[in-house]
Amino acid sequence: MTDKVSKWQRVLESRASRSSYAQIVRERDKKLNVFLEFDPERDAAPEKSDSGTPAGDDSSLLRVPFAVKDNIAVKGFHLSCGSRILDGLISPYTATAVERLKAAGARVVGKTNLDEFGMGSSTENSAFGHTRNPWDLSRVAGGSSGGSAAAVAAGMVPFALGSDTGGSVRQPAAFCGVYGLKPTYGAVSRYGLVAYASSLEVIGVVARTIDLVEAVYGAMCGSDPMDQTSMDATELDLSEYSRGAAAAGSKVATIGVLAGDLGLAPGVARAYALSVERLKRRGYQIVEIVLPTLEYVVPVYYTIATAEASANLARFNGIRYGLRPDFAENPDELVRIARDKGFGDEVKLRVLLGTYVLRSGFQDQYYLRAQKIRTAVRNDLARAFEQVDLILMPAFPTLAFKSGGAAAGEAALDPFQQKVADRFTSTANLAGLPALAFPVSLEEGIPAGMQLMAPPFAENRLFQLGREMEEEFPAPAPPEFPAQWR
Amino acid sequence: MDKSELELTADLAHIDLKEAEYETLGRAVEQMIEYFSRMNEVDVSGLEPTTHALILRNRLRPDVPAEDNLADTLLENAPELEDRFIVIPNVL
Repeated sequence: MTDKVSKWQRVLESRASRSSYAQIVRERDKKLNVFLEFDPERDAAPEKSDSGTPAGDDSSLLRVPFAVKDNIAVKGFHLSCGSRILDGLISPYTATAVERLKAAGARVVGKTNLDEFGMGSSTENSAFGHTRNPWDLSRVAGGSSGGSAAAVAAGMVPFALGSDTGGSVRQPAAFCGVYGLKPTYGAVSRYGLVAYASSLEVIGVVARTIDLVEAVYGAMCGSDPMDQTSMDATELDLSEYSRGAAAAGSKVATIGVLAGDLGLAPGVARAYALSVERLKRRGYQIVEIVLPTLEYVVPVYYTIATAEASANLARFNGIRYGLRPDFAENPDELVRIARDKGFGDEVKLRVLLGTYVLRSGFQDQYYLRAQKIRTAVRNDLARAFEQVDLILMPAFPTLAFKSGGAAAGEAALDPFQQKVADRFTSTANLAGLPALAFPVSLEEGIPAGMQLMAPPFAENRLFQLGREMEEEFPAPAPPEFPAQWR
Repeated sequence: MDKSELELTADLAHIDLKEAEYETLGRAVEQMIEYFSRMNEVDVSGLEPTTHALILRNRLRPDVPAEDNLADTLLENAPELEDRFIVIPNVL
């Protein structure tokens, strides 16, 4: 059941086709709340690169519609970041990653819902309602790129862009039964991505086939003069990851798995065992590895991420754009009221935490310590990649959980529990490594996904294994998936 | 955590919290800070801090002026303008 890209390429070709497409998507979106803004007309004008109908080349992006997470700038569309504080803001520019996809012929059709400023694992922290999982409307789509993952899973777009700071592309992809790629840090320009944690985040892609993930990544990646942290693979000294140095050409042979009890929900544990079985059957050697710093990854991640967030979100003050209170005595009060009214609870929590860990007197104890442990995490992973070509890990310890927090009882995860569960995904962000979430099975009727992690710029290994896993279990289609995209 | 600690932190973060928020956010902040203290279990001697996972050096572009003026478009998003100035309440 792979997407027929050539069918997608015809969706935007005429006003009539765009109109019927819009009707289908809007109808479906009434229940899912995926799009904060949806308009296939806005970006429909052909670029100079368009030249006739493509001859059914499955990896061509020409005229393919895609959605963009609403913390990534697209000129002419709003840029809300899921927050009230950016009320009314229309982006005056377009992110480099999006520009490159447009140059390849793809077209933005809408902006997707997200946890506010990328802060969350459920897309319940949006100021504009939460996005539901197309597999089960009582469950979350995951976060923070829940809108993008749900859009793809529901067959509204063939691919969508998200951002991954601590797992925000991979976890929703796993929850929704699609592929989610977190590229190597710096592989894709962050110009146009509203910054949350600058040393951790990267623009990623969600799609229903590996072919499309690879094509989109290929179009987006590459150093960009507008982002000083972006780079080409050739610029990096890969000797630290000795096996990774031969990344581009080397064939994957050995896969690392974590030793011990990982504290997984039964559905995830079954999917994990199933993946290992499939890999063994296909001739891969499975090696148990130990990452001693894994149990500290979450406090380290949240210390660093919140510290960086407190700095990055200081710019939102109601003065130059966005929400501004009707009345304030002076500019200082204006700023304080705007931020109190404009930021949601989760954002306030993280800004306060970040401010706290950076306070003089506390910096050494928290922030500096976290950065040192971050080095230890990188060292652990470099050591692991001396033994193995890829690491297989869960994306999240549970399947898509029920929405509604405490009200939903045991089946839901409260915000603290959601954070602690980030341990499998935030590891890659701390070390800047690429990782891919892929669907493995349906457990209790909802998708179970796994995650593969590779050395820097070894995305090819992820695609190679991803394709093999796709042969075992292609992305499944949820209820009400449009027949024409099957 | 002392309420005064939270007040000072909120002050530094330029956010005006309401009374009820001091309660709820206070508890959440406390829970996370306590969770962070787990990091004290790690022996960090000899470890350099990582500020950037993969970047090794500063990268400069050629010293040539760029042709890029978003100024007017940016000003369109301002809540209140007077000529090309953004209007704010009196400082004094």
